Amino acid sequence: MVYWILLQKSFLRNMQYKIAHLINNAASAIFGFVFIAIWVGVLEGKDQNSPYNVMEMTYYIAAVQCILWISGFLTAGLNIQNGVRNGAISLELVRPTNFFLYVTSQEAGRLIYNFFFRTIPIGLVFALTVGFYVPQKGTTYLFLCISIFLAIIISINLHYLVGISACWTTEIDWAHFVNFTLLVALGGQFVPIDFLPAPLSTLTQYLPFAGAIYYPVMILLEKISYDVILLQLLWAVVLTLFNLWLTEKARQKLEIQGG
Amino acid sequence: MHLYLKLLSGSLRSRMQYKMNFLISSLSYALIMAVDFILLAAILQRFDDVKGWNLYEVGLLYGISSVAITLYRVFGVEIHNFERYMVEGEFDSLLIRPVSPLSLLLTKNLDLSRIGGTLQGVIILIISIIGLHEKSVDTFFLILYLPVSILSGVVICFSLGLLTATIAFWTQRIKDFQTFTLYAPFNAANYPMNIYPGWLKLIFFTVIPVGFMNYTPVLFLLNKGGDLWNLLLPPAVAFVFLFIAYRFWQFGIRHYHSTGS
Repeated sequence: MVYWILLQKSFLRNMQYKIAHLINNAASAIFGFVFIAIWVGVLEGKDQNSPYNVMEMTYYIAAVQCILWISGFLTAGLNIQNGVRNGAISLELVRPTNFFLYVTSQEAGRLIYNFFFRTIPIGLVFALTVGFYVPQKGTTYLFLCISIFLAIIISINLHYLVGISACWTTEIDWAHFVNFTLLVALGGQFVPIDFLPAPLSTLTQYLPFAGAIYYPVMILLEKISYDVILLQLLWAVVLTLFNLWLTEKARQKLEIQGG
Repeated sequence: MHLYLKLLSGSLRSRMQYKMNFLISSLSYALIMAVDFILLAAILQRFDDVKGWNLYEVGLLYGISSVAITLYRVFGVEIHNFERYMVEGEFDSLLIRPVSPLSLLLTKNLDLSRIGGTLQGVIILIISIIGLHEKSVDTFFLILYLPVSILSGVVICFSLGLLTATIAFWTQRIKDFQTFTLYAPFNAANYPMNIYPGWLKLIFFTVIPVGFMNYTPVLFLLNKGGDLWNLLLPPAVAFVFLFIAYRFWQFGIRHYHSTGS
């Protein structure tokens, strides 16, 4: 299976930069410590009127810092924009492989690498310092896996959307910035979305960004019903179909231009 | 100096060829940086303060730190992206010019898209000062000292950037180091240092001295502690740190070996 090989190759390519990534992990953990310190500073002595106490918030931030590496920090535009700029896209789109799978399987390889060399080490750092929440119920582990899997699909699709938009705009820097900002802000990277001001806190629950970060983290912390997985599934399906349709549009546009 | 201005204006004109792109990228960069602060404002609306610092007081720290790092990103873009010279072997071409490599790097390019971030920092500073003024805090000396604080911040940031760039002489790639030496510390410096555990504080007041640029002087200027030394320390630390960074850079150049390929 060609996509499986692409995934493996991408994994191995990332292995080349292990040492640099380990240093980066230390920085990522520091980001986590900073966010935890802010929350501890804010909540200390005042957590009786907050839905999260200091310890729960610490667990929350620690879990977010770990999951960010598999569903937050993806390659900008999945590098589709490079192909658009140098013209390679015209070849990539007419290959007998599915372009969507061709691009996403490479990113998946990178994310699997991230899981082992970023998520796990960072999680260990938190476990040894501030603590890391371990789910108590057996079923949580099963639903957590499903939720993380869907989170990755949602996020890959959001990034693919930014990347394929290059076929019309060629420049995606700003689109990536906006997408990333929404992902971390409305995904609950620093502030759990139920903490956001009134209209936003309700609205964000239904947006795909929550499905990429907030929901899997809340499932890990056993603070939310498993039903939210259905919402994640809905977004994963909708975004995938939309991207497949958009890819087809991009291919047609290419053919009309005639190369 | 004349040469410097000429090179800068050239870079400015080349950037202005793409006005729309420039505007959009500046705005989106300002947006991404402001989001953190807006979220913090939402939290502090609800919980009043973080270890005794209210929103406007944190805003001062936040504004100084963002203006400092974004000004560095505008003027120090080639230092920041220095790994390119190592990876693509372009550094040799800098060595054979009659001007020092550092001056060449500083004049080569400006990243004006980062100006949006500076603007956003300035806006946060203005809002914070107005907010403090309304709470009848004496802001006269604060405003007077602000340029010193920002300049010290830029120098500290530039020195950290230069130190990190120098590492590239041995490691080639530095992007991952920058997260550790620049992004994480400046993100931390957005907030008061007293919220951090001892070992983090130790780092931010020694090897990565970001605490000095804003926390140290603002602590005194807001009557939260310290004495007049708090106002002298930021420029002094910045100057010493710049000297160390420059010496390390020169040491790095002496040890530079071309790829020879």
